[in-house]
Amino acid sequence: MPVSTWSRALCVCLLIGMFPSLPLHAEEVRSESMLANTCAGCHGTLGASAGEVMPTIGGMDKGYLVEVLTDYKTGRRPSTIMGRIMQGYGDREISAIASFYAAQPWVSTDRVAVADQLAEAPALHERYCESCHQDGGRSQDAESPRMAGQWAGYLQYAMQACRDGERCHPRKMRNRVAELSDAQIAALAHFYESQK
Amino acid sequence: MKTLTRRTFLHASALSTAAVLGGPSLAVHAATPPKARVVVVGGGYGGAIAAKYLRMSDPDIRVTLIEKDSAYVSCPLSNEVLGGERDLASLTFDYRGLTRRGIAVMQDTVIEIDPAQHVVKGAGGNRYNYDKLIVSPGVDYDWAAIEGMSEAVAERIPHAWKAGKQTQILRRQLEAMEDGGVFYIVAPPNPFRCPPGPYERAAQVAHYFSTHKSKSKIVILDAKDAFSKQGLFQAGWQEHYGDMIEWVSGAQGGIIEAIDPETRTLMGSFEEFRGDVINLIPHQKAGALAQTAGLANESGWCPVDQRTFESSIHKDIHVIGDACIAGAMPKSGYSANSQGKVCAAAVVAAINGDAPPAPSYVNTCYSIIAPEHGISVAGVYRLDDGRIVDIPGAGGVSPADADARTRALEQQFALDWFRNITSDMFT
Repeated sequence: MPVSTWSRALCVCLLIGMFPSLPLHAEEVRSESMLANTCAGCHGTLGASAGEVMPTIGGMDKGYLVEVLTDYKTGRRPSTIMGRIMQGYGDREISAIASFYAAQPWVSTDRVAVADQLAEAPALHERYCESCHQDGGRSQDAESPRMAGQWAGYLQYAMQACRDGERCHPRKMRNRVAELSDAQIAALAHFYESQK
Repeated sequence: MKTLTRRTFLHASALSTAAVLGGPSLAVHAATPPKARVVVVGGGYGGAIAAKYLRMSDPDIRVTLIEKDSAYVSCPLSNEVLGGERDLASLTFDYRGLTRRGIAVMQDTVIEIDPAQHVVKGAGGNRYNYDKLIVSPGVDYDWAAIEGMSEAVAERIPHAWKAGKQTQILRRQLEAMEDGGVFYIVAPPNPFRCPPGPYERAAQVAHYFSTHKSKSKIVILDAKDAFSKQGLFQAGWQEHYGDMIEWVSGAQGGIIEAIDPETRTLMGSFEEFRGDVINLIPHQKAGALAQTAGLANESGWCPVDQRTFESSIHKDIHVIGDACIAGAMPKSGYSANSQGKVCAAAVVAAINGDAPPAPSYVNTCYSIIAPEHGISVAGVYRLDDGRIVDIPGAGGVSPADADARTRALEQQFALDWFRNITSDMFT
C-alpha cells in the first residue's frame, strides 16, 4: 500500500477515534428507486396498482404519502401488513419512498361504473366530500388524497374503516363518513373510481 | 447462417421468435449498437422482473430474455387450482408485454453456458453473446433422496411443485379419490421453494374435501419439526376443518425414506403409510441449468455476492430467485421479484461504470386458509457485512388474534398480491 493511502487510512481511523459516537458501519444511503421498487410487487410497477383493494400510490401527494407511511410505522394508522413492513425504514427512507411515488404519473383504473352503482353518489359527494376532495376527487394535497380513478375496492374499505373508527385520515372526516350507509359508501367508491 | 454476424443472427432470431409469439418486434432491432448486451435466462418471478427493470432503468442496454416455454404458469395461487377455486388459465401469462418493452424474448432451452467466452448456447444451435448474464433457473429435484422416486414416478405420484401439468395430475387424482380416502402430502426439508406452500395446500385441499368428500383425511408427513406460519396454520386448520388435517413432524416419524409407487406406500423411519393419493414434494436444489453451468456449490444452491447477486464462482453471471443463496430471504416469488430488481440495478451500475448501489430487499407471502381467511408473512432486509439480514423489529406474521375483517382483508390482499406481482412481471 502506498504511503499516501496509509496516511489516509490512518486519518480515517483517527477521525473515528475522535468521534466515538459514529457507527463503525455507517448505514449506506439507499436510492429512492431502490427503496421504492420493493413496493411494486404489491402496489404495481411505479405504483400503478392492478387492483382491487390494493391502492394505486404512484402520483399521490408526497406529504400525504409521508404522513401515511409514518402513521403505519408508529401504529397510528392500523393496518394488516403495512405496519410490519414500515418498521424497516427510517424517516429519511420514508421520505425517499414518498418522493419517488409522488414523482410518478397517476394512472387511473380503466373501469367505468354502471349507472345503478352510482345511485345518489354525485349528491353525496357534493354534500359530504367536496369541500376537501374537490374536482370530483381529482384534487389532492397532504391532507386529502386523490380519489378519482382509484380502485373502488380500496376506497370502499378505506371509508368503512374510517366510519368504524379503525382509521381516519384526517380525523375530521369521521364525522362525515359516520352518516353514510354501506350502500352509500359503495356508491361513492364507484363514483370516484369512475372519475378519471 | 455462417455468413451472418452474431449481431445480425441474434436480430434475425429475435424477429422470428417475436413472430411466433405473435408480439410486435419493436425496438428489438435498434439502429444504433447497444451499450451492452444482457441476457436473462428464465422468465419467471425473478427473470421477467430483472429483464423488465433493466430496460426501465437503461433503455440503451439490449436485453434478451430466454425462456423455454411460450407461456408462464404461476406457482403462487396454484394451490387454489387443487382446491377447485380457480383454473390454470387464470395463472397463465404470455411475454407480449415484455416484447412491447423492447426485450427480445426468445423461446429456447439453454443447454450450455460458456463463462469464458461469455456465450449462452440454446438447444436449437442458437448462440447468445452477453456482457452480463442473469440466470433465474428456479429449483430442481433431488430424486435420489427418497428411494423409489424418480421423474417418471412423478407422473403418477405428482409433486405439483411447478404449476402446470403436474398441478392437473394432482387435481384429477383428488377429484377421483373416494370419500373417506387419505391424502398424504410429503413435505421436504429446508431449504425449499415456497416455505408456507405445503401447509396452504393442505388447507386448500381440506376446503375442497369439506364440501365434496367430508369423510376424507389429509396427513402431512414432514421432514421438519417446524414450519412457516405454523401457529397460524394449525389454528386455521382446526378452526375451519376440525381434525381433517394431521401434521406429523420429522421427530414423530414424518421423515420419508422410500416409496413403493405401485402400492402407493410411503416408508417412514418408524412406520409405513398407504395413501389413496400421494403428493410427494421432493428434496430440492438449484435448477438444472445452475448445476450444469457449475454455478452451484456442494450445498446444491448457488453462492452469490448478496449485494449484486453476481455468482461467487463465475464472473459476469448473476443468479437470482430460488436458486441462489440469499441470506435471510426465503425462496419465494416476492423474494425473486425483489432480488431481480436489486440485481438489475447492480448490472446497470456495472455497465455504466458506477459502484454497485446500496440494496433494499423485501419479501411478502400470503397464504389462503379458507375463502375469507388470509394470513401473511413479511420480511424487510438489508445488507450487513456482505450478508442479507432481517431488519430487527420489521416484518413478521399476521397477529394470531386477527379479527374476521382483517382475515377477510388479507385474503383479498392475497389475490391483489397476485394481480400486482404478475402485472409487475408481464406488463
